[in-house]
Amino acid sequence: MILNGAARRPRTEANRSSVLEENELLARVRARDLHAFERLYRIYQPRLARFLFNLVQRPQLVEEVLNDTMMVVWDTAGNFRGGSKLSTWVFSIAYRKAMKAKMRWPDPVEEQPFDPRVSNDPGPDEELEHQRLHDALMKAMNELSADHRAVVDLTYFHGLGYREIAEIMHCPVDTVKTRMFHARRRLKQAMSGQMFDWI
Amino acid sequence: MPSDPHEQAEELIPWYATGQLDAADRALVDAHLASCARCQRVLAGEQVLIGEFQAMSPEIDSGWAQLRGQIEARPPIRPGIRESLAEFWELLKRPVVAAIATAQVAFVAAAALLFQWISQPTYVALGSGQAPNSANVIVMFRPDARESDLRSAIAGSGGTFVGGPTEADAYLLHVPANGREAAIGKLQKNSQVTLAQPIDGPQ
Repeated sequence: MILNGAARRPRTEANRSSVLEENELLARVRARDLHAFERLYRIYQPRLARFLFNLVQRPQLVEEVLNDTMMVVWDTAGNFRGGSKLSTWVFSIAYRKAMKAKMRWPDPVEEQPFDPRVSNDPGPDEELEHQRLHDALMKAMNELSADHRAVVDLTYFHGLGYREIAEIMHCPVDTVKTRMFHARRRLKQAMSGQMFDWI
Repeated sequence: MPSDPHEQAEELIPWYATGQLDAADRALVDAHLASCARCQRVLAGEQVLIGEFQAMSPEIDSGWAQLRGQIEARPPIRPGIRESLAEFWELLKRPVVAAIATAQVAFVAAAALLFQWISQPTYVALGSGQAPNSANVIVMFRPDARESDLRSAIAGSGGTFVGGPTEADAYLLHVPANGREAAIGKLQKNSQVTLAQPIDGPQ
């Protein structure tokens, strides 16, 4: 199978050392080391911002929910016993906080002028094609429910397995698989004509 | 989980594409992909999609300065009684600290004996001694209860501290016999209390 090797993203030494670093930082955070907490914040901020933006869809809410999440990490670092990965614990806090924030802002989001794509400086034709795909993808994502967006984002962007996602979202693993399956169908429908028949 | 192998594999393809399947799941998808052209196309599409997703990254300003301000504006969190005792014990175990502490305890004990000897009355009237209150209530607190929680719960019940913590982290109180039921009721309503019971039968 041609795609097998490319499809897998094995855990590298860098992954392991970053997990070790994060756990060491958390131990220092338990001892109320603000410098260690800043370091931990800067490690998680980009990932959480991305995750939360997809969930709450309001850039102005992302920072608030992100900081609420990290404040819980600061306050309850001593409660983390290592039963799961630190990232699973942090993301599950963020997920709960985001869902609470969404209850305060229940109305659907209007089209945001916010463009989250990083430019790779492609040529004009490639850029146009890329832009079209990107726009269709953003529109398709916006039409999914928050739970479906969370599963898609945690899988595709954050590279998490379905068991870890189930832990973060406090739901059975079969629910994660079903959400992903339906989200992909919805994405396909919404992006009809933009990509080849991928599902 | 679907019973059809094609559906099973199709459901797992996103995590196959990101390399997040365990060996058993991966073997299942591998076996299916070998003979299913449709799932091979699905996998190729997944990889395009993953690339698109990973190219997106919102530029949300870091709110570290604000978060740091919130933390520094708050009063420091007082450690729980367990942590305080543990830290104190760790401190005492250091040789230098242990030596100083032992010397101080010996000095205080000697001073107390001397004071007692000097202030001892020349005669003792019958009944002048005050018998210590005996414990008649046992109370246990949540593991994360703080010392201030313990103090306010005990004071609020009208009881006085007699002893503890025991091996089981219980505290022994004395409350006046005629107010014991009310005191236990108050303790049981306190959210920090996990157990409050009489220990010498009904009075």
